[in-house]
Amino acid sequence: NSSQLSSLPLQILLYVNGVYYIFYFLATLAMIIYKSQVFSYPDDFLAPDLAVLFLMAILEVPRLYLGFKGNLTEAEAPLGLSLGLTVGSVLLCVYLLLWQTYVLWADVLLNALLLSAYALESGLKVTAIAAFVS
Amino acid sequence: PSNTRDAAQARVRSAPSPATDVARLCVCDLLVAQCDTNCCCDPDCSAEDFALFTACSVPVVTGDSQLCSQKAAVYSLDVEANPPERIFKLIDQVNPSIFCIHATNYKQALYLKSPEIPTAENFDQLLDKFGGATFSAEPDSWNLDTDAQNPPEANETSRYEYGVPVQTEDAFLRLPSPVVSSWCSDANPAGFLVNQATKCIRSVSVEKCDSIQALSMLFYINSSILASVFQVNITVQSIVVQSLNGMRTLLSSSDVLRLPMVLDDLCINAVLGVNYHITHTDTGEIIEAAAAFVLGAISKEALSIEQSFEISFTQENTQPVPLSGNPGYVVGLPVRAGFQPQGYPFPAAFLFASLALSSNKHSQLTILHSTSTQDCLAAQGARAPVLFGYNMISGCKLRITAAMKCQPLAQTLLDVLKGQSFPEFVASFGNSQVQDVLDWVPITQLLISEQMIFHTLQSSCQIPVSLGIEVKWTKYGSLVNPQARIVNVTATITTTTLKQLPPGRERIIPITSSVVFTDISSPAEPSYKAWPTINIKLPFDFFYPFV
Repeated sequence: NSSQLSSLPLQILLYVNGVYYIFYFLATLAMIIYKSQVFSYPDDFLAPDLAVLFLMAILEVPRLYLGFKGNLTEAEAPLGLSLGLTVGSVLLCVYLLLWQTYVLWADVLLNALLLSAYALESGLKVTAIAAFVS
Repeated sequence: PSNTRDAAQARVRSAPSPATDVARLCVCDLLVAQCDTNCCCDPDCSAEDFALFTACSVPVVTGDSQLCSQKAAVYSLDVEANPPERIFKLIDQVNPSIFCIHATNYKQALYLKSPEIPTAENFDQLLDKFGGATFSAEPDSWNLDTDAQNPPEANETSRYEYGVPVQTEDAFLRLPSPVVSSWCSDANPAGFLVNQATKCIRSVSVEKCDSIQALSMLFYINSSILASVFQVNITVQSIVVQSLNGMRTLLSSSDVLRLPMVLDDLCINAVLGVNYHITHTDTGEIIEAAAAFVLGAISKEALSIEQSFEISFTQENTQPVPLSGNPGYVVGLPVRAGFQPQGYPFPAAFLFASLALSSNKHSQLTILHSTSTQDCLAAQGARAPVLFGYNMISGCKLRITAAMKCQPLAQTLLDVLKGQSFPEFVASFGNSQVQDVLDWVPITQLLISEQMIFHTLQSSCQIPVSLGIEVKWTKYGSLVNPQARIVNVTATITTTTLKQLPPGRERIIPITSSVVFTDISSPAEPSYKAWPTINIKLPFDFFYPFV
């Protein structure tokens, strides 16, 4: 029982989150393309949905990187920044879950899974920060 | 009133809202207030009607099946119950696919779009959006070249064809003519190249004569004729004034328009006749139009007057000569003939000269016209025109007395037989123009003396007793529409010796003249198609190893 403050569950979760997010991004993009072909998807409804998805992808990269860095170096500042970015990602995820133009059942599953991962991650980050600070 | 109009407009502006309640939708309910057969969802049907159904034509009414869960109305017939009854169930239908629509935030996603009702405000914007070529149903509007429309119209009014009504500014050039009865009808259009002459009766009243349009000159010349790119005005060629007793005077100045007016008890300057002369080019374009008027006076007692109208078409730079066919001769029309002008004695020179044609019909090819007196010397001058295709024979009797001298008698008889001006050339076609010298056939004149048969030359004088004109014609042109063409004209004069009569005696000799038309056209030869030949050729290296 060394004085290792880095949280192993958080690391595992961050890693899984990264892999899952790649799958989530590709799946959501494919479904938006499918929806635009099958349903009536006018341009001024398609643009916000695509913008949110890409914004979430852009946010995800620094968020995961800061999480990894903070957890491994046991520094609370990057972890705190990562937590802040997580809040943004959560909001975008909620948008895709509730306020997308067409919410398919698969959308519901993917987003719910991502949201639960974010929630769990946030909890673990808070505990890790508490452990690093003290 | 403005309130109701606004309300009505407000109602019109929005289309009716779509029906979305599944329980109330019924596709098979077509008859209003009546039960449709086998339509289980029809609200007009009662339980007794359901008992008579055999099946449900519409078993289920659902919304969009792509939704994850939706309401569905299921209709079925329970045939085991007695009497059969309809079962109506409202269930939730679940779409098991993972790509079913869980929710949608886009109102019009699952419904057809209601079209925007055009109003005064959004009309321009809608026209911009939907008025382009991609929304147009007709391919003609894709052609943005509007200039292409104009040239065909210009061509149609510039060139007239035979029989086409001559167009004027407002309608057609009118030639009043009697229709059914003898009363004038103003609705008869003048056809191009159709020479017409009509007479009809018009009812008049002297008191209102200045208000009757058909009696004033203006009515006949006020519209201008449409021709190519400009319009041809109808000019007044001449005015002839006819007095009440029928005497006609030609007015020297025809510029002044004379309109009908009431003078004492008469109506003067009323139009009694109009003669249109239209000049055209050889391609059918009208270049000039002139009208010659006959004005007269109408007395108070007259209730109707007779008006006569005529129209004639002349090609420019030609004399107005009536054609006898176009181009071949028409049976029954006079054979056209003419003279070589004086001063051209050399035969070769006439190739460069034109013939002088006279429109006086007595200078045409004519033969002696038999009269009732049958006396050659008394009926000098009665001639009949030679009509194409009609063989004619005519004659008269000559009474010879002892006192008659031979030479003057021979000359007189020659005049009687040939007429005052016997032509030298005959037109080979019915429409031969005077300028085309080669289209005219010279008349060959033969002189036959009856006494020559006996091979004795008598020194006594000969008098002509018969003239025979033989016209040889042929069929020219296509087999289905052959045109008659005169090839040869021979005038044969037969003379006989005048024997000196003892004094007091007289003799009667018949004098005859005849015209015979002979068809010398060669019959059509049938020709057959060549037998088909079999064209087989071996390739040149067919016998390769051996050759």
